[in-house]
Amino acid sequence: MEQISRRKFIHLSSVSGAFLVVGCVPGPNGDQQVITKVSADLAGLDLNQFISIGLDNSIILYNHRPEMGQGTFQSIPMILAEELEVDIDRVEIRQSEASRDLYGSQMVVGSRSIQTEFEKLRKMGAAARELLKQAAANTWNIGVDQCKASNGSVISEDGKVLTYGQLVEEANKLEPLENPPLKDPKDFKIIGKPVFRKDIPLKTNGEAKFGIDLYTPGMLYASVERSSVFLGKVKSYDDSETLKVPGVKFVFRTEREVYGRKREGVAVLAENYWSAVQGRKALNIEWDTLNLEEISNETITGDSYEAAKKDGDELFGKGDVKNVFKGNSTVIEAAYETPYQAHVPMEPMNAMVSIKDNSAEFWGSTQNPNGIRSFLSKKYEIPENAIKINYTFMGGGFGRRSMTDVAEEAADLSKKSGAPVKVIWTREDDQTQGPFRACSLNVCKAVLDVSGKINALEHKVIAQEIRNQTGDNMTAGRQLMGGINTEYLIPNLSVKGVLRKRHVPISYWRAVYHSTNPFAHESFIDELAHLAGKDPVKFRLDMLDHPRYRRVLSEVAKITNWNAPRPKGTGRGIATAERSGAFFAMVIEVMQKGKSVVPTKITTVLDLGICINPNTVKAQTEGSIVMGLGAAYAGLTIENGSIVEQNFDSYPQLKISQCPEIETLILKSEAPPDGAGESGLPTVAPALANAIFDLTGKRIRKLPIDMDGII
Amino acid sequence: MAKISLKINGQIREIDVDPNMPLLWTIRDHLGLTGTKYGCGIAQCGSCTVHLNGESVRSCVIPTGTIVDQEITTIEGLSKNNDHPVQLAWIQEQVPQCGYCQSGQIMSTAAMLKKNPNPSDEEIDNALNLVLCRCGCYPRIKKAIKQSIKM
Repeated sequence: MEQISRRKFIHLSSVSGAFLVVGCVPGPNGDQQVITKVSADLAGLDLNQFISIGLDNSIILYNHRPEMGQGTFQSIPMILAEELEVDIDRVEIRQSEASRDLYGSQMVVGSRSIQTEFEKLRKMGAAARELLKQAAANTWNIGVDQCKASNGSVISEDGKVLTYGQLVEEANKLEPLENPPLKDPKDFKIIGKPVFRKDIPLKTNGEAKFGIDLYTPGMLYASVERSSVFLGKVKSYDDSETLKVPGVKFVFRTEREVYGRKREGVAVLAENYWSAVQGRKALNIEWDTLNLEEISNETITGDSYEAAKKDGDELFGKGDVKNVFKGNSTVIEAAYETPYQAHVPMEPMNAMVSIKDNSAEFWGSTQNPNGIRSFLSKKYEIPENAIKINYTFMGGGFGRRSMTDVAEEAADLSKKSGAPVKVIWTREDDQTQGPFRACSLNVCKAVLDVSGKINALEHKVIAQEIRNQTGDNMTAGRQLMGGINTEYLIPNLSVKGVLRKRHVPISYWRAVYHSTNPFAHESFIDELAHLAGKDPVKFRLDMLDHPRYRRVLSEVAKITNWNAPRPKGTGRGIATAERSGAFFAMVIEVMQKGKSVVPTKITTVLDLGICINPNTVKAQTEGSIVMGLGAAYAGLTIENGSIVEQNFDSYPQLKISQCPEIETLILKSEAPPDGAGESGLPTVAPALANAIFDLTGKRIRKLPIDMDGII
Repeated sequence: MAKISLKINGQIREIDVDPNMPLLWTIRDHLGLTGTKYGCGIAQCGSCTVHLNGESVRSCVIPTGTIVDQEITTIEGLSKNNDHPVQLAWIQEQVPQCGYCQSGQIMSTAAMLKKNPNPSDEEIDNALNLVLCRCGCYPRIKKAIKQSIKM
């Protein structure tokens, strides 16, 4: 989170004159989040940067986190409304401006919006409520302790009532408390209720605007041809045919940076998108592909197995695994493979930017609005306050929209053409250019003791690391061990990483390494349970004293009747994991249908602390399951240094007919909220593979799974 | 370029476009109706679904010049007040997450129900199998369709 000192803030204020500091509330990590009064606009008086109340008693709550489907558009205002004591259904929700000074980080990644902002938002709501109570106390000339806030009004002990609208002018003159009293969670009236989302009606009639929908006068559309072999350089290009296409205005070389590497392309700018695409097809480009065509799935897999022979870097260790394995003839070993995946948000990547001499403007769907401002400011030496960021709803993000690379292309082309430029990637661009979810090889080894418990386990991850894609440093970092459960009470446990560097670009993909490592880890635990002759749930519970793991496992076993006999021709598998602080366990039931195996029901039990909006959390779990199943069924392959699958015809996404019944149980908790946006995804592949084993006796150790080719 | 007259959402609109331009881009970039979305460009995802004479079609693969004098309905023309039974059911079941594919989901569902007011689960799967939702709204779409049948 951006640190902002009171002195710096006052200084900034005196420059811009737009804000008035009225108080200071410490942020969740001890950093300073300043409550400000924004100069009154037509809508009402702003009690702070999140809350505006009109004299007519209208209430506007600002959501400061971009919305990509995760539902914080509703759940952030729910937290504010809870402490403010207003009816969530009668407030208006607006998206806030992008401003690090006012809102700290606004980046939506790692399911953090609720878990990092919860306390801060409560304080914002409570600070405004206390101001209104104080205003009423002053009006009535009584103590504030004789006033109660309820449903948009302040009520005195003797029954006098003033609405927030009647109090807001007086409240606006007062100093907010630095540490306003917060409600007892037992008194929550909004938090925990399945509240309807106010963005949903906009999404049923075409009204919701996404980045790709925006228009600004004078804009040009751009489509960019890039080397199918990543890192390919433009040797030369011939645009004579392109320039004959009606509507085409310019052709430029362009580039963008992807994790420290320049990626080149040739852009066609036209009056409309269709012309830009036609012009692009007519380009004749000679690429220098740097001999990277030699790389294929086969070479990558070969390299991974070769690298697996290395010791690797220890990322977690206890006991002495090496000593147990030494000379031991009972070491059990299994290797698991996962492929590259593209993010595939339904809204293809796009960005519109206008660069002028001393100002810039961005329009688009982004998980990282302030990151785009910083980038534009640095690159074009434009002061941050002269850069306007217009961020919209996103048509999916899944991590891909945390990057600023497409805005970088649009900015470069705007600078070169002098016009606002909207770059739209084709679906083929999205699938073949990445950056991708990393592929991985996981090699697991274990030794059981005489009682069938795991005595020693080693999990070695062989993969690229997002944070370290270039340069000479070949030490594996802790990022690589994401999702490996070290809470199992195994006396000798070691997690190792063997870092690989490849020309294939990788990035954050929903659940990140939690989308690959648990497939190996939870499958291997299952294999060991069967080798030990133990029930997979009991085997896990016997190794866990972690209360949250125990709770979700026990609960999912209970509601799925785990111990009951099951019909012939069916199977079920279990897996458990933690992601973004949330704990969950999943049971997948499968059945044989002809020669295929199909999942029939997926049951998830979640413990994610306080749940703000169960409606949204369930939707996120359903979404994580659908994404996890999709990734279990399809993956990307590399041949000739390029991605083979160009579009949905060869990289099928999960279809409605493939979606089984989904049941999600959220456990009650009063602990602080954890991240909900990725819960369930990590457990899909292992629970499915374990269910397939239960049904067929066949062990799946490689994704994607051909569900029609198992039996 | 050619002057083309389109009947869209009950209105006649005169435009000057390349007749080969897919209807999708004509609708979005020339008529400003951005509720119809681009998803794949090869009729595999359904985000661009509109009604042509009441039938659901993929506007990303239909050249604009081939559909003169036919009735086109986009999501903006499905109802005046967001109150088509399918839209109401979508809100009731809280279907959308990101919302990007939902115009295609809703238009495909509305066209299916017009032909077949009481579809079986299998018929629903068949009608919507190539309308992709990356957020995974499928369980709620199934519920909402059952709900809209009741409405």
